[in-house]
Amino acid sequence: MTEVGASAVPAVEVTGAGKVFNPGTTRQVDALVAIDLHVGPGEFVSLIGPSGCGKSTLLRLVANLIEPTSGSVRVNGKPAPQARLDQEYGMAFQQAGLFEWRSVVKNVELPLELKGWDKGPRRQRAMEMLQLVKLGDFAEHRPWQLSGGMQQRVAIARALAAHPPLLLMDEPFGALDEMTREHMQAELLRICGETGTSVLFVTHSIPEAVYLSDRVVVMSPRPGQITTVVPVDLGSDRDLDTREDARFFEKVTEVREALRGHEVDELELARGIGDV
Amino acid sequence: MTVRRLLWAVIPPLVFGVVFIGLWELAIAVFDWKPYFLPRPTKIWGQFTDNIDLVRSSATVSGGNALVGLLVGTVLGVGVSFLLMRFRLLNDMVNPLAVAVNAVPIIVLVSVFSNMFSVTSEVPRRLMATLVVYFIVLVNVAKGLRQVDRAHLELLRSYAASPVQVLVKARIPNAVPYLFTALKISAPAAVITAFVAEYFGGSQNGLGSRITSNTTANTAAAWAYVLGACLLGLTFYLVSIALESITTPKRGASPGGGTTT
Repeated sequence: MTEVGASAVPAVEVTGAGKVFNPGTTRQVDALVAIDLHVGPGEFVSLIGPSGCGKSTLLRLVANLIEPTSGSVRVNGKPAPQARLDQEYGMAFQQAGLFEWRSVVKNVELPLELKGWDKGPRRQRAMEMLQLVKLGDFAEHRPWQLSGGMQQRVAIARALAAHPPLLLMDEPFGALDEMTREHMQAELLRICGETGTSVLFVTHSIPEAVYLSDRVVVMSPRPGQITTVVPVDLGSDRDLDTREDARFFEKVTEVREALRGHEVDELELARGIGDV
Repeated sequence: MTVRRLLWAVIPPLVFGVVFIGLWELAIAVFDWKPYFLPRPTKIWGQFTDNIDLVRSSATVSGGNALVGLLVGTVLGVGVSFLLMRFRLLNDMVNPLAVAVNAVPIIVLVSVFSNMFSVTSEVPRRLMATLVVYFIVLVNVAKGLRQVDRAHLELLRSYAASPVQVLVKARIPNAVPYLFTALKISAPAAVITAFVAEYFGGSQNGLGSRITSNTTANTAAAWAYVLGACLLGLTFYLVSIALESITTPKRGASPGGGTTT
């Protein structure tokens, strides 16, 4: 939630990035075209857009789970592959993706285990992280004994365990009910505020994007591209009342209209084809 | 509470069993069925207790063959499934074949195997049991190693995990329940194979051969060996279930059961 200092190294720097799936075949898909994206240190940026607009693909480019066809991706000043090897980010998906054969605390320990941490410090850090998501009492439980919301909190604790400067999240609250979802959003803001973590957050919920973000990046499909960036200046101390704020609704409307712009295009296009 | 549940689990099948045997006994008396058609349960039980030493030694032979097949088949199946996971091309060649072999009664091969070894050799029987177990284990464990949650793989990639770490942290733990499912299927299959293999000749020392050699002369004795065979098969099954419950966390689910969303 802090302002971006001019000299600070950006958490994410995507320049002219494109991604083509199955190039040169009949199934060729231009998933992303000419993407420029900047996330400052401590900044919270959401990617929003209809299904198939490439927002998850963009997140996976930043995570170096896939390689871009063109352009460059840098994380904390490093090329994306190096950033992945150096564990510059933590990741959370819509599915909590906990390992069911491991206890809750051992799930949180996993990234530290892979980094070669010793057992003592590993357990201590994992317990700290579980305290942070208020699940300290459930350390020895198995994942399936927890509710969906609790599992998601474990996944967030795991993503934060190695204290990464950047958090990459792909619809992490998508499968949760409205009440749990709002609670988790507040928790995420609190945690990021406390740890100074930058976040790149994929969602298709407009209120969620507005409530969480410093900036909302609006994308459109075929080919996937960034159409609008909506700055959200609601301040850093957002709480439940923020959702009742007139400025909150203004921003929701602004994002909705930015999204709708393309829907109208599509409708007209469809009508045009229908007339022919 | 648990005692009550246990009683509810045990009493109904027990009552059914007692009633069934009672009706069996009664039917023979009423319809005057001849002993060569169907002997009385009491007669079978008498033969079972009279010949208990022979039942035991025959069960040891058949059970031993099944056990050797189970162990060797499991080790081979697990070993080869790792190879299949490592080499994609090999998997594409072997796996459909293994699935197909699982669907056909390969037990008939035993007479071919018998020709390869001496008449008194136990090797063809063990080989047969090994083969049956091997394919069941191979197909299941290979599936467990391969069908890892995509989210887990992406997560491990994001942690920059090495292939060995992916194997140890995700693939092997994922395959463990598949292995126990395979054992639950293949343990009784190994026993059945060991019995049936004896029907195709060789030494007259196992339960299967004692059943065939008694069918005409002493039907009740043949049934006594059938009873022994049932108990042996049940033992194998129960041991495989016990192993599963010891080694895997209490989940009450087989592979695929209960995702963590």
